[in-house]
Amino acid sequence: MPTATLTVRDGLVAPWAEWERRYTTGRRLLEAGTYALTEGAIAAGCRVFAGYPITPATDIAEYMSRRLPQVGGYYMQCEDELAGMHTCAGASLGGLKAMTATSGPGYTLMHDAYGWALTNEIPMVVVDAMRVGPISGITGAPGQGEFYVARYCTHGGNFETIVLSPSSVQEAFWLTIDAFNLAERFRTPVTILTDQVVSDMWEDLFIPADYDGLDFVVPRKSNLMMPFFPVGSAALDVPPNIIGRGTGVCVSAYTHTEEGYDIEEMEAQWAQTFRLVNKIRFHRAELTRYETVGMEDAEVVAVAYGANARTVKTAVLEARRRGLRAGFVRPITLWPFLDELFERDCHYVVCELNYDGQLVREVMRAAPDKRKVHFMGKSAELHTVAEVTTALQGVSGSGRIPELPYIWTEVR
Amino acid sequence: MNKLAQKYLRPSQIPTKACHGCGIGMIENWLLQAIDELGLKQDDVVFGTGIGCVGRQTFATWGGDNFGATHGRAVAVATGLKLAQPDKKFLIVVGDGDAASIGTSHLIHAARRNLGVTVICEDNMGYESTGGQFSPTTPAGYVTNSSPYGMVEPPFDPCDVVQAAGATFVAETTATQWHQTVKIVKKALQNDGFSFVHVRFPCNENFGAYALGTRDTLKNLEWIYEHTQGRKADGSETDFTWETGIKHDASNSRPEFSRLLRDLGERVRARMAAGDGQGAH
Amino acid sequence: MALFKTEKKAPRGPAGKWDVVVSEEMCKACGFCLHICPTDVFGWRKVTNRLGWFPIYTAHEEHCVGCMLCYQICPDFCIDVAPRAGGMN
Repeated sequence: MPTATLTVRDGLVAPWAEWERRYTTGRRLLEAGTYALTEGAIAAGCRVFAGYPITPATDIAEYMSRRLPQVGGYYMQCEDELAGMHTCAGASLGGLKAMTATSGPGYTLMHDAYGWALTNEIPMVVVDAMRVGPISGITGAPGQGEFYVARYCTHGGNFETIVLSPSSVQEAFWLTIDAFNLAERFRTPVTILTDQVVSDMWEDLFIPADYDGLDFVVPRKSNLMMPFFPVGSAALDVPPNIIGRGTGVCVSAYTHTEEGYDIEEMEAQWAQTFRLVNKIRFHRAELTRYETVGMEDAEVVAVAYGANARTVKTAVLEARRRGLRAGFVRPITLWPFLDELFERDCHYVVCELNYDGQLVREVMRAAPDKRKVHFMGKSAELHTVAEVTTALQGVSGSGRIPELPYIWTEVR
Repeated sequence: MNKLAQKYLRPSQIPTKACHGCGIGMIENWLLQAIDELGLKQDDVVFGTGIGCVGRQTFATWGGDNFGATHGRAVAVATGLKLAQPDKKFLIVVGDGDAASIGTSHLIHAARRNLGVTVICEDNMGYESTGGQFSPTTPAGYVTNSSPYGMVEPPFDPCDVVQAAGATFVAETTATQWHQTVKIVKKALQNDGFSFVHVRFPCNENFGAYALGTRDTLKNLEWIYEHTQGRKADGSETDFTWETGIKHDASNSRPEFSRLLRDLGERVRARMAAGDGQGAH
Repeated sequence: MALFKTEKKAPRGPAGKWDVVVSEEMCKACGFCLHICPTDVFGWRKVTNRLGWFPIYTAHEEHCVGCMLCYQICPDFCIDVAPRAGGMN
């Protein structure tokens, strides 16, 4: 059977596209996604991990417990996820880069600490290895149910969050370093949404030889002067506040002034919200990370992130082989949502690992014609190449996804 | 403002937001005396609080670095801070809701680990900033806004809990024992490990008003005094008595938690330097 | 034995050798100092302070025996008692 030559543009827009070209001496390993996340954190300068074991994020804790003492860091196994994230936030306030890792049920417990870290602009990284829910669900199966939960990671509104999602073991390594960099620059907790597949999967992994030589890692700095909280300003690269440097900084759960004092005034709430929201909104260009295939001529575009983006991408290539003008979009930055990826007026097939439809709602909002946005929900297993190829052909031919077993297409 | 307050506190946050007749300020004054007698400076102490009356009224009053954690999590935040800043003294001033209810798990595990912080549990026997509901330390039978027929649950003593969990210094005082509290807090701060001091103080606006039936500041503090002594002014016995004083003193008998972790790291790195296979990752 | 003394005694021993300073603008008028004082040092102001309370003031400094009870019991850091300049002689 003759193989058609593919002439599509395959593009990755992310800082590690350049990093990969510059750093080529190191070791090639066959390792798990959790290992890559751990090593990425160590490479980025993470020196504290505090968490609670939970499948499928436990391996990160185990790797950390081995690695952190070797590099002068501290591994802590906390009494619960609440304590885990608060301890990380405390360590970050004390001047050490910190990370915690969990899965859905533990992620729910962290909302308390998320609000605290967001309000006080404490840089840290949270890994959420998504599994099927609600609640314990199926512990060993991939899900993508935390798309909105990661955006609205605490109550009360008035904030923006940064959420990244890798789809391979190698990407998990670079993306973790990137997440730490963004946390330092934006002074905010950054969430990495992986899933059971990316976490547990073993793959080829390149690790640079010398972590100290990675010049793109943003080091921890210390803010030694007022304003500790530049409320009313969207400035980027403000150094984080550190407790214990004699600056007299105040950090609290309340709406605060520039000094960090609690205040109950509408104007203060406005100024704090301006800071928390606009430091991310005004610098969205710094947060653009995505991968596309064949977007220059696509009539029907498959959209997916995380683990199932792998099979969906293969399906898109297969569809092109069959002569379809298919395209592929994989947002790596999930939040703030990359509306600009969906400006093309064409059909979108959004594949995600939940039946209720989460990513698809954002695509519907961003796409020029929401009637051309189709949903392909599945849970506990990745979409198969055959399923997605059939769906792409169906949309291309009749404008709708044909009926497939265990696939939901309704978004209400 | 008295001289110690001028030396240690933040003038912009004084007077505090506390109600009149609230005991939080006097306890803070005694903490300052203990800190002063130990010769500590503003920069030596990190002041942590929680949520509620004690959290809100004491937050940002300390002239050095302050943090006000989410409800109950002050000890969890202090755990992380202690890893990063092991040389600081941590004075964690929390209420009975923080220590004995929502944050008990963190308290227990900090005691188990012998984390080097001093937790002052300022106990006004109820949730007073939300309007006077009962808490796990409200004496049984007392009327509060959420126990209008008398509190049916038995209370518990957080001192027993943290002692059982392994705290190396545990003490209890009340708001009428100034010299004793200063002495105890001094000892607590000298313990390089987990210290817990439980101090009961009067709430005038809620606990006093609903449980004791009066907003007379003098009568409410007198009630604390009577239950400290076990005798009323007329010589009759009170319905119960708080056992005050040092309940457990094993100061500096166990290694402090952040030191344990540092020592572990040093051992691991020494083994790596010696060429042990443990170094490989 | 009650904590607060309803009857004030005349000062015995070395009285009147202490400076008693009340920061009246911070006083929340709980009355603890006035009632715990064994002698009769404090009195109520007839005009409110900025917080809206009728604050305590040092009415009879010459009665002070330097027991420091008011300093210990004041919840608002208002009271300072110190030996009067010129020493205790």
